[in-house]
Amino acid sequence: MKKLVFLSVVLVMMLALVAPGATAVAQEKIKVDVWIAFQDYRWDWTKEVAARFNEMFPQYEVVVTGGYSYETVFAQVAVAAEQGQLPAVVQFFEAGTQDARDSGLFKPIADALGDRTEILGLPVDFDDFVEPVRAYYTLDGKWTSMPWNTSSAIMFSNMNYLRAAGWEKPPATWNEVEQACEAIMALENAPEYCFTWPNHGWFFEQWLAQQDALYVNNGNGREARATEAVFNSEAGVAILQWLDDLYNKGYLYYSGAQGGDSWSTVDQAYSTQQVAMAAYSSSDTTLYTQMGIEGGFETVASFLPYNDDTGWTGNLIGGATLWLADGLDPAVEEGALAFLVYLTNTENAADWHKITGYIPIRYSAYDLLESEGWFEQWPNQTVAVQQLAQSKVTPATSGALVGGFPAIRNVVTAAIDRVLLSDDDPKAVLDEAVAEANRIIEEYNLLNAP
Amino acid sequence: MVVSPVILMLAGAAIGAAVVAYIFKRAGGLWLLGLGLGAIAGAFGSALFLAPLDYCTFEAGRESLDRAFGLILAAAGTAIVVAPLGWLSGKLLRHESLIEGQQSQGAFRHWWIAIPLLAPTLTILLLFLYYPSLETLRLSTMLSRLGARREVFVCVDNFTRLVEDKTYFETVVRTMYMSFFIVVLSMGLSLLVATMAYLPIRGASIYRILLVWPYAMSPAVAGIIFLLMFNPSGGLINYLLGKWLGIKLGWLNDPKVAPWTIIMASVWKSMGFNILFYIAGLQNVPKDLIEAGAIDGAGVLRRFWHIVWPMLSPITFFLLVTNLTYAFFETYATIDYLTPGGGPLRSTTTMMYRVIQLGVQNNDMGKAAAESIVLFLTVIGITVVLFRTGGRQVTYGV
Repeated sequence: MKKLVFLSVVLVMMLALVAPGATAVAQEKIKVDVWIAFQDYRWDWTKEVAARFNEMFPQYEVVVTGGYSYETVFAQVAVAAEQGQLPAVVQFFEAGTQDARDSGLFKPIADALGDRTEILGLPVDFDDFVEPVRAYYTLDGKWTSMPWNTSSAIMFSNMNYLRAAGWEKPPATWNEVEQACEAIMALENAPEYCFTWPNHGWFFEQWLAQQDALYVNNGNGREARATEAVFNSEAGVAILQWLDDLYNKGYLYYSGAQGGDSWSTVDQAYSTQQVAMAAYSSSDTTLYTQMGIEGGFETVASFLPYNDDTGWTGNLIGGATLWLADGLDPAVEEGALAFLVYLTNTENAADWHKITGYIPIRYSAYDLLESEGWFEQWPNQTVAVQQLAQSKVTPATSGALVGGFPAIRNVVTAAIDRVLLSDDDPKAVLDEAVAEANRIIEEYNLLNAP
Repeated sequence: MVVSPVILMLAGAAIGAAVVAYIFKRAGGLWLLGLGLGAIAGAFGSALFLAPLDYCTFEAGRESLDRAFGLILAAAGTAIVVAPLGWLSGKLLRHESLIEGQQSQGAFRHWWIAIPLLAPTLTILLLFLYYPSLETLRLSTMLSRLGARREVFVCVDNFTRLVEDKTYFETVVRTMYMSFFIVVLSMGLSLLVATMAYLPIRGASIYRILLVWPYAMSPAVAGIIFLLMFNPSGGLINYLLGKWLGIKLGWLNDPKVAPWTIIMASVWKSMGFNILFYIAGLQNVPKDLIEAGAIDGAGVLRRFWHIVWPMLSPITFFLLVTNLTYAFFETYATIDYLTPGGGPLRSTTTMMYRVIQLGVQNNDMGKAAAESIVLFLTVIGITVVLFRTGGRQVTYGV
């Protein structure tokens, strides 16, 4: 009896091993692997879009895999490439652009598309993508990766505090922020702090771009490969000086967290009304507007405040794009390309904006949202779009292309941490940061330059 | 000073020959044979690390720091080869058993039977532990990035730069004192709590489950909870402190306080594990011993100090080693959630945090490998000291 049970268990297990293989042969779907760096509601949304795509094109099976963070997905892709298991589409953040480009693993979208204007019947229209996005991801004159989640840095203000202090609209410049803070902190029921921001390297880059100052040499790495960091300019020092002034006056709240995990400390300080204003990413406009509704105050979004002395040139984008793997089977490449086009079509781009707060990356998506009355209902949602639309496209506002960017960001946030918490001179600290960044760039280029 | 491979090999051979010949002579063997064997081992040992490096530390244009490092490597290699040879030959010549302690009666008839029995474990160890370790050694001499076109050999630069980097020394000191407090506080509090939870009270098992719970919680979840509690502005702790006592502390953004926040969170996280083991240990303390002590008139503290504490010593020693490993290697996640970036003012940057920041975030594999080797050697060193000192005072059995 025991033997019989044992034998039947073995038989079942063997069948289980054989069966999936047999069914896979019968269906013969072309599998398109897509790796993204989200594991939250954004992953769910992407899987829903993929499901609709798979229904429209039954010959394809798009499989979306979620990842923990941009950095870990990058490491996973490098390992997968070594083993010849590269997925068809991978999401990289803007700071990984140079790394992705140098890896030789990806094919520019423009090359894959050739001069076709549609793929599998889906129309392709790159002119419909908003200008700053096009500027960032057009490399060597070629449309390189597919823009998807794009944001900009803006400011959210708690109008209860601002109005009480006599400000009908949020301050627009650095000096105005300081003046508003003086008034707010003098209020009877003043918040604990006036202004805060996540100590993420991206904000330093934003304030630098506003002053039309470069981050790295060679036209921000866009004319030729960047070989040196140049952010210890007057513009760079001014940013640290301004933050340090606000900090020393007790206006600025710095949570102590740096980099990608610093956002949630700002969320908490703002939602509990411990601060009046927060510089933040437009990607969470929906969330911040909601915080106000739930907390009984009005959140107004505005452009990121700029340096009065240098004026405002423009802001740069943030977020990530989707890269197409090189050396794919032609049928897989076709499916991957079609999915990229489908994912960013007008309807999906508009829906993506509504769900997340990332900007509508297509003009037609903006028009669609406007005709639905979306922006009238949610005026905060237009701020990032307007800020990018009014930005002048220069090498500074196009954003830096440089190898080892994530490591350089860590250097910058550590420098800001040091300036705020110690008595060290901003210029000296920034000079040291640039020396460290230069070592990173030099080593990166040594390993990656062709 | 000119140092060539030949000179190093001769020096290694001389040291090896002297040591092994001496041991042979003491143990009554042929000292000439010892001389020969020792010389070969010493020469080989001197080249153990340096030959794979192609003696790069002595190339023209290298600094004296590199040369010193090369000499240390030669000495370490010689020691690693000569010492086991001397120990082994001494034991064999005296016909002593290679395994310390009493031999059990149930020995295998043939010594080679052990090999197939150990094979599965050894295969896994080789594949997943020893091979990656060797790869770490190789990486530590490279400038290397995942996904890069090429790797560049940099000799021992990844190590020597640590000597010149003053922030690294600070990091080592900080890691030591944070680990010390994590281990001592966690084990001390756990013993206290375990002793109380062991008291015969109603619903004791429920208390015990609740006490072990934090250990079962994922570091990510614990990290988020702590971050939102300790956030200096808007966090629950400062809100309550401000309301009741009128004070607020910079839990995460004051360099003097932040390391203690990390220590507290790590202690909280590891206490469940320690309590579990201490409760198990307390259950194994013979009741008759305690009763005998009570009859002889010993008070609670005296009974604890003279009976319970010595009976717990094997567990305490085991926990000391595992907690040390935890404090050095596994507090990374806590730091990354509470004070990402290792700030404020680097006050929470530990050795392990640096390794992960370099390797995972910065994709700088060579430097990360070198720092992980230094970390590994540090922990090995501390563990050896523990075994040599504390290990002797452990009493196993009555």
